[in-house]
Amino acid sequence: MKRLLIAFAFFGVVASARAQDSATGNRFGVWFPFQLIPNLTLYSSSAQSGFGFEWEVTPLLYSFGMNKQISPWYSLIVEPTARFTGSIELNAAGQIFTTKLGNSYFAYSGHVMAYVPLIERGEHLSLNLGAAIYRVADQSRVFKVAGISTIFGIAHFNIKHSPNPTTWIGSLEFRIF
Amino acid sequence: MDRLTRIPHLLMMTLRLPVLALLASLMLMLSSCSSYVQRIVVRSIGRIGEPIDPAPKMITTPILENTKLAVSWVGHATVLIQIHEKVFITDPLLTSAMGMLVKRYVEPGLNPALLPRVDFTLISHIHFDHFSYGSLDMLPKNGTLAIPLGALRYTPDFGFKDIKEMKPWDMIEEEGVQITAVPVQHFSGRYGLDNAWMTDLGYTGYVIEYRGYAVFFAGDTGYHPELFKEIGRRFKIDLAIVPIAPGSSSGLGSRVHTSPLGALEIFKDVGARYMLPMHYRTMFYGSDSNPSEPIDHLRRAAADQGLLERIIGLEIGEQRILF
Repeated sequence: MKRLLIAFAFFGVVASARAQDSATGNRFGVWFPFQLIPNLTLYSSSAQSGFGFEWEVTPLLYSFGMNKQISPWYSLIVEPTARFTGSIELNAAGQIFTTKLGNSYFAYSGHVMAYVPLIERGEHLSLNLGAAIYRVADQSRVFKVAGISTIFGIAHFNIKHSPNPTTWIGSLEFRIF
Repeated sequence: MDRLTRIPHLLMMTLRLPVLALLASLMLMLSSCSSYVQRIVVRSIGRIGEPIDPAPKMITTPILENTKLAVSWVGHATVLIQIHEKVFITDPLLTSAMGMLVKRYVEPGLNPALLPRVDFTLISHIHFDHFSYGSLDMLPKNGTLAIPLGALRYTPDFGFKDIKEMKPWDMIEEEGVQITAVPVQHFSGRYGLDNAWMTDLGYTGYVIEYRGYAVFFAGDTGYHPELFKEIGRRFKIDLAIVPIAPGSSSGLGSRVHTSPLGALEIFKDVGARYMLPMHYRTMFYGSDSNPSEPIDHLRRAAADQGLLERIIGLEIGEQRILF
């Protein structure tokens, strides 16, 4: 999993650097520092509820909803338009989850997600479908993921399901760019 | 995961955290916006549930026969322009809300289903109220979509015949129509953070020329003492379509928005024969004063300067044949 994350990150940096062009200014220089600010995640399962902070990176995204004059491939910097107008992405994340004071743990995950626009090209509402693998405390579990995104991709509500033992997790995630 | 299941369920946290997180998210989002945008969003949230007024008039025949130059104000910055047989629409906003949260006061004065074709759709910048995806989906796609430099990354595949990304002074020519992107003074970005790298990108005005007539569409702009004079030197403009709000009641407005006085200066600088004021009346523009105040103010100022007969003040949904 670590190798996979490193490979994703490396590929993303290279692809993003190649994607820089004069028509979009110093995107990477502005975008990168903001990625150090984690996204807020709230979750609830039958066993527990809590919140977490998440650092998420998208090494690769293919957008099938954008105009044909630009490449459908994105890496790292993904305008919400490109994601929610219809796309498939690979992303990786590191999370710190907290359930109560003094009880936090680290997890990391990889996702394959598809976004299907429902209202206003997905800016107002999109459907999220995919799969995720979470690694927590030296154990890995695969989840099916389904949900919605709204408010220009700022708010995401997802339901995650994993069998054996059956686990349902609902999460509300806030992501800015 | 075993560790997860050992931790007890924290009901209170479940109840409180989503609310706190939502508020934190909204505050973060708002803090990245200008105070103008903050006022608009806060005011609009307060209007949830209030009805939208019908347009005072409705455009029933969008495309006219035997017309040299006609204009219709659909609302906000949406203007339907006809020069001879060619049809243009600017910054189409036909949805009931702008950017999901900002509800309009007055419905659009045009049913887009009545439009058989639009030859050129012009987008001045990528803010939600000027580059409305839902509105573009309502329009016929048999023409060209013109967008400012940098906006291609924000343009879904609407299905237009062509998309032209233009930087200031770029010109496209199709079937005798010349459209030139001209510099204005505004700002861009769509999602907050991208404002920071779209500093000199993503906004423009346009001059449309066809069969001896020229129309200047300013989009959204503040007053600049040189830009508009240069446009006036390069073109012989018949009609200038200029925003008149939001802006202070005195002075020329802010750096990015003209007041009625600033708009009047733009009109004089470009040397147009007529001025069509827009970008007022349709939504909340940052003040609770009378929605008609910008146009009343413009008329008073124009009268003082002997320009009143050259101001075409249309109602939303009103159509006027100029030539």
